[in-house]
Amino acid sequence: MNRIVVEGATKRFGSGALTVFDGLELAIHDSETLCILGPSGCGKTTLLRCMHGLAHLDGGRIVIDDLEVRAPRRNVAMVFQHFGLMPWKRVSENVAYGVELAGLERQTIDQRVLRYTEMVGLTGFERSYPYQLSGGMQQRAGLARALALEPDILLMDEPFGSLDAQTREILQDELLRILQTPGVRGGGAPSTVVFITHSIEEAIALGDRIVVLTARPARVRDTILVDIPRPRTVASVVAHPRFVELRDHCWRLLRERLVA
Amino acid sequence: MTVPRVGEVNARARPIAPARRWWRARPSDAMIRVASVLVVLGIWELFGPLLNPIILRPPSQIVRAFADLIANGELGVAMVQSMRVFGAGLAIALAAGITLGIVSGRSRVIYNVLDPWISALYSVPSVALVPLIAVAFQYSGDAPRVATVVLFAIFPILINTQQGVRNVDPGLLEVARAFNTSERRLWGDVIVPAAMPFILAGIRLAIGRALIGMIIAEFLVGLAGLGYLIIVYQNTFRIDKMFVPVIVVAAFGIALMGLVQFVESRVAPWTRREQ
Ligand SMILES: Nc1ncnc2c1ncn2[C@@H]1O[C@H](COP(=O)(O)OP(=O)(O)OP(=O)(O)O)[C@@H](O)[C@H]1O
Ligand SMILES: [Mg+2]
Repeated sequence: MNRIVVEGATKRFGSGALTVFDGLELAIHDSETLCILGPSGCGKTTLLRCMHGLAHLDGGRIVIDDLEVRAPRRNVAMVFQHFGLMPWKRVSENVAYGVELAGLERQTIDQRVLRYTEMVGLTGFERSYPYQLSGGMQQRAGLARALALEPDILLMDEPFGSLDAQTREILQDELLRILQTPGVRGGGAPSTVVFITHSIEEAIALGDRIVVLTARPARVRDTILVDIPRPRTVASVVAHPRFVELRDHCWRLLRERLVA
Repeated sequence: MTVPRVGEVNARARPIAPARRWWRARPSDAMIRVASVLVVLGIWELFGPLLNPIILRPPSQIVRAFADLIANGELGVAMVQSMRVFGAGLAIALAAGITLGIVSGRSRVIYNVLDPWISALYSVPSVALVPLIAVAFQYSGDAPRVATVVLFAIFPILINTQQGVRNVDPGLLEVARAFNTSERRLWGDVIVPAAMPFILAGIRLAIGRALIGMIIAEFLVGLAGLGYLIIVYQNTFRIDKMFVPVIVVAAFGIALMGLVQFVESRVAPWTRREQ
């Protein structure tokens, strides 16, 4: 069953001078993690912004749960590459930000903050300001803020892109663990994840499917099924016999575009 | 945050001298400052009257003049008059400046409506407009002096607030939209805190200029306040007494700056990256 459908999406900038994508077709299934791989500047962020109703298409449409996207919805949450924490809010206040705006009761908000701060491993840092945290910890807070909404759909725009390799791998493992926790995935939220990345390894580790986009104007170059069973960890994925084949396949798809 | 930074460690690491002579002991910053003031006052006390007995009244005479002016109530009355004007003028300037700064920072139309006037008024030296204010308010009561303080203080706070609001990180505005922030919460959650360091800097500038405005208004417009005392004693050549309101204004300015710095450290803790 499709959860998000991108139908003939067209987006231009600079009053038409720059076509980011033209007639893009894409479907994201229910309860899957779809990773989007694509060269820098091909329009991945723009696509995600359109999926969340933060930017508007010039043609075509994006449908989530049979309703055309026009504005951000309560059951969709976003994690940003730049973390997007409010520097003047403490960790707990940043985590509470989304749920507060959703108008939940104070008690529920406090429970959620507690639960998701713990889930991302930030217990003990509730009263810190973002500047007092490392980049990895800041993104944990950004993740907790999105998860606290208990969304059905999680949109992630290169969330670990600015982290060092080690921190990145730790957070990939944490994300795998969180999404595989019963009661989070499937048993409520967030079941469907759209994850944008530059990294082939990351896409294979996290994704059920990988969509490889071409350079601008972005088209779907290929869709790859990642047939590595869950539960996964980064180590178990890398050790899996299919990993190398999948990585080489993705490499060829991305490089073809570079040569062509 | 008890771990000392590299720089601190080096600054504190002193050679362990067995017996330090007093002239080698490193005096603290505060000691140097106090010594500087005492030495200059001492020289002034001893040699000032020899150089120019009319202008350079010795500090001891100024202290006596201080006591006189407090005793006969002149200083108290002048301070009340000045503070009333300063307080009212600064309050109006801050309220109007911050409000106008925020709305003109957020709305392009309002920005374009206001900007020519702000640019024009700000580029004229404010003093040049004081006689106009005096005539407009017919020299009566506190009003022209309050208006002068407003004129002096409003531009730095308005322009700073406007810049702060216009410079809000667009990434954070997008985050706010992504979480369905209402326009009302957008102000409180994002725009005002983001602009806060600018606003506080604007307040600091506004206080300094409000003090200047107050004194100038008292020179040129009203027969009241500390500025007026300065003029009165200038005209009667009571230079010792003339120093009294000058010192009071200086002390008041320093105290207010200290207060603003204290508030800054309280209101915007996230801007204290280094500590
Ligand atoms: N608001 C905007 N106005 C004008 N041009 C824009 C805007 N946003 C993006 N673009 C342009 O659209 C193109 C796609 O940008 P986008 O940020 O979506 O790429 P991306 O695939 O996310 O890149 P990266 O991998 O570097 O994050 C770029 O050429 C960019 O300059
Ligand atoms: Mg991007």
